[in-house]
Amino acid sequence: MAFEFLQSLADIEITGGLTVLSLLIGGIIMGVGIILARTVRLLFSKYYAPKLPQDTAKNFGKLIYFGIIILSFLVFTSTTGVDFSGLLVAGGIFGIVIGFATQSVVSNLISGIFLMIEKPVKQGDKIEIPGSDITGTLLDISTFSVRVRRFDGTIIRIPNESFFTSNIRSLSSTPVRRSEAIVGIAYKEDIDGAISVIEKQIRKSMAFVLTLPKPEFRVKDLADSSVNIEILVWHPRDDWDQVGPHLLKVVKNALDDAGIEIPFPQRAIWQAKE
Amino acid sequence: MSDHDRSQLSNYGIYTIGENLEFTFPNVEINVERIGEHVFSYTRKDAEDNILKKIIPIKSPDLAIELCPIRPLNHPARRTSHVYLDFESPVFLSEGSAATVFVRCPIEIGVFLVHGQHKDSLDWFTCDPINSRFCLYGSPESGTLCKYTNSEIVESYEDSIPFHNAILKIDIKNELDKGYTISKIVFPITSNSLYYKNSKAIIDSLTATLRKKLTLEIIDIDVTHAQTDWTESPTFEMAESVKSIDMGVD
Repeated sequence: MAFEFLQSLADIEITGGLTVLSLLIGGIIMGVGIILARTVRLLFSKYYAPKLPQDTAKNFGKLIYFGIIILSFLVFTSTTGVDFSGLLVAGGIFGIVIGFATQSVVSNLISGIFLMIEKPVKQGDKIEIPGSDITGTLLDISTFSVRVRRFDGTIIRIPNESFFTSNIRSLSSTPVRRSEAIVGIAYKEDIDGAISVIEKQIRKSMAFVLTLPKPEFRVKDLADSSVNIEILVWHPRDDWDQVGPHLLKVVKNALDDAGIEIPFPQRAIWQAKE
Repeated sequence: MSDHDRSQLSNYGIYTIGENLEFTFPNVEINVERIGEHVFSYTRKDAEDNILKKIIPIKSPDLAIELCPIRPLNHPARRTSHVYLDFESPVFLSEGSAATVFVRCPIEIGVFLVHGQHKDSLDWFTCDPINSRFCLYGSPESGTLCKYTNSEIVESYEDSIPFHNAILKIDIKNELDKGYTISKIVFPITSNSLYYKNSKAIIDSLTATLRKKLTLEIIDIDVTHAQTDWTESPTFEMAESVKSIDMGVD
């Protein structure tokens, strides 16, 4: 009964040698291929991916999944005996048309591949794209775009092409970072005394500022109203938020406590005698 | 130790608490008190009046906690497993010579909840927060982040400052063909255990050998487990076994 049913399916020809039975077999092959691809990807992500870097694991996962599906498709075409050569010729012409229409899509795809090969940054890195107001944590590099979670919690999607051709500043590729601040003291104040006061306060109240390299102090400007001192401190790369935004406050409090004047802009006007 | 026992400065050790117990350390006070039949509260207050409070539900009638020295890697945040000991007085070793020095190495204090054979970390703190700072060994591009301490050379294991530091014995050998001044030692402390007795602490010793590896002159550091009858501290953080580490001689 079942054999007769299958025979009847084999007799129904859809087009040039492609029968309903071969289509059914092809469907089963593709179905098994998809299940196999998902299973292998699942096993890979469970047992091997944790040992690899996040982005490498993700790319390998995709490669395995689509590799098995493409293999299944090749098995499907070879078992059905369908001749795709005509389709390839038509596909070539169609491809040129599509290529022009989807130039940016292809460009993003190629850029994505180069980003995965070059790896200028990796998943989880804190990055800044100078000139575009984008600073945050790199979430992932996918086929067409890059996702960055900004420090305000929002997520921004950047096309791969634009990301690939941008300057990228990595904020987490070195173990330490430096923060700077500039403070002005009055001309009448002792520069060394002010530096000593600031240094002591930084050491006392800023736990993340490194002892070595020591905080550095430079007289930046002999400006109109003040002597400007530049303060440079190093801290662990992930602790900028514990240092950068607080540095000026700590410096001001230290100078206030020591009675050292931070002058506001002022101009002395001398009147000529009549 | 009985309930309501209030000492001026507490010792390390295991304490069983029935109703209420206070511990006093430099800059830190801890109070553990019963607030229910099977519930205790744990309160820690530091010199700046920062208060940490935890509720501890337990199965047994009494609460047992252990106070002990732990590796100095958690304050102000866990960022590294390396310690940088900057010797106050550098040690000069002439060609082919060896020396043994005892140095002070910073510690933190761990509070562990003891139930049976298990010890779970409940809290940790440092009694010397101002000197608990990071530093960088090497260049900003590729250096190693370390916990920094200005380390004084002392005479023996008995010279630790209670609750601030432990004594670390370092055997230094110079196998190079010229004399060198050793002014600092950088090493991963995660394979060194700590031991305590009353308020004193010691740490597994190091062997630092100045030798030539190919064309580089390096300090090769190995850990030697201390042979002592002092009590070994439980581990607060995941221990990583490090056989040796090479540091450049400079």
